[in-house]
Amino acid sequence: MGFPTSPLGFPIRRVPSMGYPRGGVCVCAPPRYTFEVAPVFVLMEGVVLAKLRELVGWSSGDGIFAPGGSMCNMYAMNVARFQRFPECRSLGMAALPRLAVFTSCDSHYSIEKGAAFLGIGTDNVHLVATDERWEGKMIPEELEKEIQKAKAEGAEPFLVCATCGTTVLGAFDPLGAIADVCERHGLWLHVDAAWGGSALLSSKHRHLLAGIERSAAHSVTWNPHKMLTVGLQCSAFLLRDTSGLLQRCFGSGATYLFQRDKFYDMSYDTGDKTPQCGRRVDCFKLWLLWKAIGTQGLAQRVEYLAEEVKRRDGFKLPEFINLCFWFVPPSLRGRESCPDYWSSLGKVAPAIKERMMKKGSMMVGYQPHGTRVNFFRQIVTSPAVTRADLDFFLDEIERLGWDL
Amino acid sequence: MNHGGFFFSFRYTYEVSPVFLLVEEAVIKKMIEFIGWEEGDGIFNPGGSVSNMYAMNLARYKFCPEIKEKGLSGLPRLVLFTSEECHYSMKKAASFLGIGTENVYLIKTDERGKMIPEELEKQVQRARKESAPFLVCATAGTTVLGAFDPLDKIADICEKHGLWLHVDASWGGSALISRKHCRLLHGIHRYVNSVAWNPHKMLLAGIQCCALLVKDNSGLLKKCYSAKAAYLFQQDKFYDVSYDTGDKSIQCSRRPDAFKFWLMWKALGTTGLEERVNRALALARYLVEEIKKREGFQLLLEPEYANVCFWYIPPSLRKMEDGPEFWQKLHQVAPIIKERMMKKGSMMLGYQPHQGKVNFFRQVVISPQVSREDMDFLLDEIELLAKDL
Repeated sequence: MGFPTSPLGFPIRRVPSMGYPRGGVCVCAPPRYTFEVAPVFVLMEGVVLAKLRELVGWSSGDGIFAPGGSMCNMYAMNVARFQRFPECRSLGMAALPRLAVFTSCDSHYSIEKGAAFLGIGTDNVHLVATDERWEGKMIPEELEKEIQKAKAEGAEPFLVCATCGTTVLGAFDPLGAIADVCERHGLWLHVDAAWGGSALLSSKHRHLLAGIERSAAHSVTWNPHKMLTVGLQCSAFLLRDTSGLLQRCFGSGATYLFQRDKFYDMSYDTGDKTPQCGRRVDCFKLWLLWKAIGTQGLAQRVEYLAEEVKRRDGFKLPEFINLCFWFVPPSLRGRESCPDYWSSLGKVAPAIKERMMKKGSMMVGYQPHGTRVNFFRQIVTSPAVTRADLDFFLDEIERLGWDL
Repeated sequence: MNHGGFFFSFRYTYEVSPVFLLVEEAVIKKMIEFIGWEEGDGIFNPGGSVSNMYAMNLARYKFCPEIKEKGLSGLPRLVLFTSEECHYSMKKAASFLGIGTENVYLIKTDERGKMIPEELEKQVQRARKESAPFLVCATAGTTVLGAFDPLDKIADICEKHGLWLHVDASWGGSALISRKHCRLLHGIHRYVNSVAWNPHKMLLAGIQCCALLVKDNSGLLKKCYSAKAAYLFQQDKFYDVSYDTGDKSIQCSRRPDAFKFWLMWKALGTTGLEERVNRALALARYLVEEIKKREGFQLLLEPEYANVCFWYIPPSLRKMEDGPEFWQKLHQVAPIIKERMMKKGSMMLGYQPHQGKVNFFRQVVISPQVSREDMDFLLDEIELLAKDL
């Protein structure tokens, strides 16, 4: 475009390429609500979403990019609610019975935040127990029980949110069994695969999401900005529906943008499918990377990381790549039977963390989880990480924590 | 194992993004200063629409904190008020938040597109009999006409009725930086609870760059939004965990959007930003004067900001009498000119129908790169494209 500004005042400008997947890139900053202000990126988003849906196992569908997995999960909650109770859009929750949402107790906190934000209420998010062993997967039988319990209390279940790749343990909920439960009760199944979705690219690891192609799974959250290291934000909300549900749920038909007398096919004006107005061109980052390294390249990224982690001796092998472990300093070794063992061990990670941050040598997260005291959680996502880095990582923890 | 560079910084806790977090705090503080509050809070969001949603949810939480846990089901019907010229994100927000689009009461505006305070008072009185009013959203710089609601009078009404007053200044907020034009938002320092302000609009910070400012120091944002996830917001960290501001947000990872504004502010200084605003409005004024001079161009109204709304009346319609047939034919002109300009690739200009008026063009002047010659070109090109209509 030859004009320095678009009519709405958003200039086309050059932005340095730092952080984008490959080489020098000229990135435009068009707001992307209508086809006319960002034709290439609107089409690109459609193509990328179709490709992601293909990997999920859907031959058609809908979707949109959102500013984060949290937002995608909220979109899912809103669309599921709208599908069940279309009147909610105009009349609000005050006109509805008390709704119930079900998700695992290891789910991402955006489910609860979403319930509060959407006027459903955090009390109405029923947390389903995960299995006792290390894996942290939702127990389908417990889900069934929770649904029955909610119904008996007069609530109206409408949504189950399964997690593929939980935040802390990297666990994958058993989608097949959960889909059975959802089908039985007529509930919308949303799969929060923000973290684990990228396993779909790998023929070796996609089995972790078996069941995602089932008809009970209506929507998926998938964040390429996680495992595929596409620049933040890059989060996709995928929908199985082809009836225009997303548009009906969010569309407002603002006359200054979505005029009905345009000269082009207005179904390309996809901006009305979202609660946002101007949006960044997040799909472009993924498109560019995908073009650069191909589906094979993306699959190799996923597989390399998973293999590197499994190769390291002495680790309990996780299902995916969340490496959760304790460092037990020499002073505590052999003292597992002492009554203060666990409370002492719980103080180790924060102390090592403080030391590594003040030294500036590295950074790794820790957290308590359930009844378990503070442990480290290392998640390797960058393909630039080598075995030497992993060795350094463990050596440094030993160095920092030796005298604790 | 962390990626370097601010493009990968996640900004939920201080430890993953200390500099950007402090930058955000500093920028918010400065923006609050320009609003005229002594203190306050805030956060950067992925868009003005999201800022408006935040404000709506905050106002609701203040009204009835139990809604966070219990939800809205079975409660009295909450209603909010905003002008009929408001941004469409108001209705989208009401729907998303479970309030319902029918519970957004649109207040009439005057011929200049400003909310009529007397109408607001009437509607609030009426609504109180059968529902629970909780929020008024005034607009400082409406999308189409660029109108500024009379904040002083609206503030009086909100204070009287104990309603949260949110000012959607996504578009007009940047006038605060100009000593010449900040009077457009007179009253914003008073009984106003929150403000949405998008530096990515008039100040040209890279998209997204949108702030929600809140006149509160009791940690309301955090109380309303926090979920205290144990894997991020541990209380046994070695630094002051009040710096972990990410729990004030509905998002998890966030981009360091404030940094774009900070960098620009540092580079240009407040004076430089002020010049941007003044220049844009001066250029809008130039365009208005040119339109008045040229035959065939007709202004919708005298703008008070940078939105210049006008019709182009091709020669064939100029002798036609004012009547339904004239307006119906004129309605078809802008879409055709738009198609032609886009296929030619010479420029791009928005049009819309609005409040009973047929399709008109809307030129919004922002960029410091735009010159008077560009404004002349704009008008010349419209004439060129439409001469045979």
